[in-house]
Amino acid sequence: MAHVSDFLTPAELQKVANLQVVARLVVEGFFSGLHKSPHKGFSVEFAQHRQYVQGDEIRRLDWKVFGKTDRYYIREYEEETNLRATLLLDLSGSMSYAGAGGASKADYAIRLAAALAYLMLQQRDSVGLVTFDAKIRRYIPPRSSVPHLRVLLDELQSAKPGGETALGGVFHDLVPRIQRRGLLIVLSDCFGDSKELLKALAHFRHARHEILIFQILDRDELEFPFTHWTRFESLEQAGAHRMIDPAQFRAAYLDNLKKFQDELTQGCHRHHIDLVQMVTDQPYADALAQYLTRRLARG
Amino acid sequence: MTFLNFLLLGGMAAAAIPVLLHFFNRSRPRVVQWGAMHLLDAAFQAHTRRLKLEQLLLLLVRCLIPVLLALCMARPVLTGMRALLGGAKSSLVILLDDSYSMSAGAGAASNFAQAKEAAAKLIEQAGSGSDVAVILMGGTPRQLLEAPTLDTVRVTKALAQLEANFGAANFPETLELAANVAAQMQHGLKEFVVLSDFQKASFSDGEAAARGRALQTLKRLPVPPRLTFLHVGTESRDNVAVESLDLPKLALGVNQPLQVRATLRNFGERAWPDLRVFFHADGRERGAQQIALAPGEQRQVLFTHTFDTAGFHTLEVNADADALKADNSLAAVVTVWEKLPALLVNGDPSPEPLKGETDYLDIALSPAMKAATGGSDLILTRVIAPGDLTPDALSKSRVVVLANVRQLADAQVRALAEFVANGGGLLVFPGNRINTDWYHRTLRAAGLLPLPFTALAGGLEDGKPRVKIVVQPFTHPAMELFNDARNGNLADAEMKLWFQLGTRQEQTDPGLGILAQLSTADPFLVEKKNGEGRVLQCAVPCDADWGNLPVRPVFVPLMQRLVIYLASQAQPPRNVEVGKPLAAFVSRAHVGRKAQFTGPDGVRHDAAITGRGALGYVESAKTSRPGTYTLAAPDGGATPFVVSTARAESDLRQLTEPERKTLAQTLHATLLTSVADYQQMDKDRRFGREVWQPLLWAVLALCFCELLLVQWFGRRKGTKT
Repeated sequence: MAHVSDFLTPAELQKVANLQVVARLVVEGFFSGLHKSPHKGFSVEFAQHRQYVQGDEIRRLDWKVFGKTDRYYIREYEEETNLRATLLLDLSGSMSYAGAGGASKADYAIRLAAALAYLMLQQRDSVGLVTFDAKIRRYIPPRSSVPHLRVLLDELQSAKPGGETALGGVFHDLVPRIQRRGLLIVLSDCFGDSKELLKALAHFRHARHEILIFQILDRDELEFPFTHWTRFESLEQAGAHRMIDPAQFRAAYLDNLKKFQDELTQGCHRHHIDLVQMVTDQPYADALAQYLTRRLARG
Repeated sequence: MTFLNFLLLGGMAAAAIPVLLHFFNRSRPRVVQWGAMHLLDAAFQAHTRRLKLEQLLLLLVRCLIPVLLALCMARPVLTGMRALLGGAKSSLVILLDDSYSMSAGAGAASNFAQAKEAAAKLIEQAGSGSDVAVILMGGTPRQLLEAPTLDTVRVTKALAQLEANFGAANFPETLELAANVAAQMQHGLKEFVVLSDFQKASFSDGEAAARGRALQTLKRLPVPPRLTFLHVGTESRDNVAVESLDLPKLALGVNQPLQVRATLRNFGERAWPDLRVFFHADGRERGAQQIALAPGEQRQVLFTHTFDTAGFHTLEVNADADALKADNSLAAVVTVWEKLPALLVNGDPSPEPLKGETDYLDIALSPAMKAATGGSDLILTRVIAPGDLTPDALSKSRVVVLANVRQLADAQVRALAEFVANGGGLLVFPGNRINTDWYHRTLRAAGLLPLPFTALAGGLEDGKPRVKIVVQPFTHPAMELFNDARNGNLADAEMKLWFQLGTRQEQTDPGLGILAQLSTADPFLVEKKNGEGRVLQCAVPCDADWGNLPVRPVFVPLMQRLVIYLASQAQPPRNVEVGKPLAAFVSRAHVGRKAQFTGPDGVRHDAAITGRGALGYVESAKTSRPGTYTLAAPDGGATPFVVSTARAESDLRQLTEPERKTLAQTLHATLLTSVADYQQMDKDRRFGREVWQPLLWAVLALCFCELLLVQWFGRRKGTKT
């Protein structure tokens, strides 16, 4: 049986410009696929009963109380605010790579960030946002208010990738700014010096932060499918390029990629960091599922 | 190298395709804005050098494939020297072994028949425009035709009529002749093909130096010829030969018994238990013996015969043996003398017995007559006084002996000089009466004294040293007899006084021959040629005044040998080997006329008589067949000659295959075993060898190689990186 989420592929969502719509579509499509109401989820807590007044939704009546007292009461819930999540969005030049699918890694990351922010605010969690390339561009501290979503989405809407990457340096700079421990969700391709990156992540872990990394890659970067002579121009350093016959270098490239990934995976595992590799043609729902699994584990 | 499809060579341009494709692809690259440059950079830096090498190798292989394919389709032909010399025409020189060892075998299967067939095939395939010369190796090397010719039909016809020679193969001289002939031939490219059974006797190591000299002659040609050895025929070792006839060294007189010792050798591996050997004199059988001859064995058979008439007589020993007839018999001509008239000019006569200067000599030269034994002497002596030495007396003599003659009149000297120049012999003995000044001034000036009587040595008094004749291996025909001590010991004689003959420098005169020496190293007997005659000069007199030589037994054979030697010199040898010329002196009255030689096959041919001094001279080189030849002079006188085959050819063993290879390597020749092999080789040289097949294999190999390289490089990239 088809679900709405089946149609919410990154390619389809690429056509929707409004991030809020995107986020809502993603999140609600995701939950409808789960067959569970988000309002009965684990993100709300019972607060009190109150007298039914006209206009209240019938479904919110507490029928058990009606059976005992023969009066209509409505159950009211109180949101949980114990999760403070910060989205760390990489806007370096390498994130602007777009493969044959058309959506760049940056676009994918922005939409995913929007969806995650929407979901978390729906669950009354606090969400913050950091955008960066070689340095921090913007830091929006976590908040749980509904209007805060607009702030986040506006920032995401205006985000454009460019510049070099220096994840390690940026993360080191961030550590003192995110004082309260919480969940850090990194949206990046993680390209760069893996040792520096792992050092910086270890710095976060030292500050008692939980870290979830969505490593966003393009299918081309995983498979290197090029065949003809190609001029590879760097997205981060102007003028840097390699003119090669890709077929000759494919094996070597893939080998280097594997080494890099292994190094990253082992480093994350060592520091108890969740690393989730996302490919830009992969549904956003997969990422949300990963997040929620992580959220559940956190309690 | 040439190409049958020259235009298809243009296909080699396809070699540029891989290069062009490479540059085309590079010139229009796809541009990708790439993020993971650090991964790409690492791969590039680690592998770019190796990849470049691999790519270059692949590019090379891929370029070679169309090049070789185009070459293959153009059908290249390797032509060797033809390209250098600009044509397929060549000068073919066939060195055909017609020595009688080639006659081994019978009929069409004989080695010579096979060699002729091979030669005909070679000439046939030589192609029009090629000139051909056939050099025959047997006996004296000679051309089949008088000169090289383009008319191959004529050569083939002459070849068909050719019969095997009876001489021994003379390869070095043949090679020299071939080089000279080749120098006159038209084409720069010269092919020498040696068709032979490569008999060991003809290609022995002993002739290596001569072959080396001949090879140098070949190399001096503007373009050294290509030498090919073509072995023909099979080895036959079943052969018995009459190797030699030993005839008496002394001249033979009428009714003197002649002992002929024939040596027979079995060269084969078959035993002859009852081989019959026959002796013929003047064509009639005079004796027969039966002997056993084991393989490799050599035996001698003795026959005795007496001739009752003077003149030339033929004798022959033959064995009833194998099919190679040429060496089953051996013949010779002997000269039987009625008398050899000798004039003894006595310069110191004496009425007392044995006191005269020529007394001992007279007895030594005609012992039978002097001893009145009733026997017959060969030499008829006549003793005269110096004043009696007249042209008339000279005309009746063959030899003149001057014994202690003081001097002669000038007219006598002139007559004596003419006598010697016309073939007469002069023997000069010194003594106490000779006028040495006159001898030096007049006789020596007339060429009748080999060396001056320089000085007397020794002394007649007691206590003075005595000298002897040094006995050593003698090589001179007049002295060879004394190599056998049974014929007399020259060392028995002692000299008290002797003349020293000439100075050391005069003794080194190349025309001078020293027959024997004294123990003081002074010459004892010297010889010099003068015209057709010879002069012998002795250091001691022929009487017993200065020594005891005349009273020693050796004096008789020594004097007889010297006088007979001088008397025999008037005529060239009558027994010659195949290929060597026949020559004779005839009367000068016949000069300008023709004499006729008749061969053993009855074929006659004329030879011109030319003047030589006081005699007429006739010669014939047509001695290709063994047997008896007869010279008929215009006055009707007949002179027989015997031409014999060279016995070296009787040993039919051939060089083994490795020995032939070594010989070929030494002479930088190609060794082949069949005409077909030669034709193939010549075809390759002349018309070239098509090499498209190996090229096609090379293309396939390169394609396979390219496939392997691609897979190998691909696997290396997948594993090592």
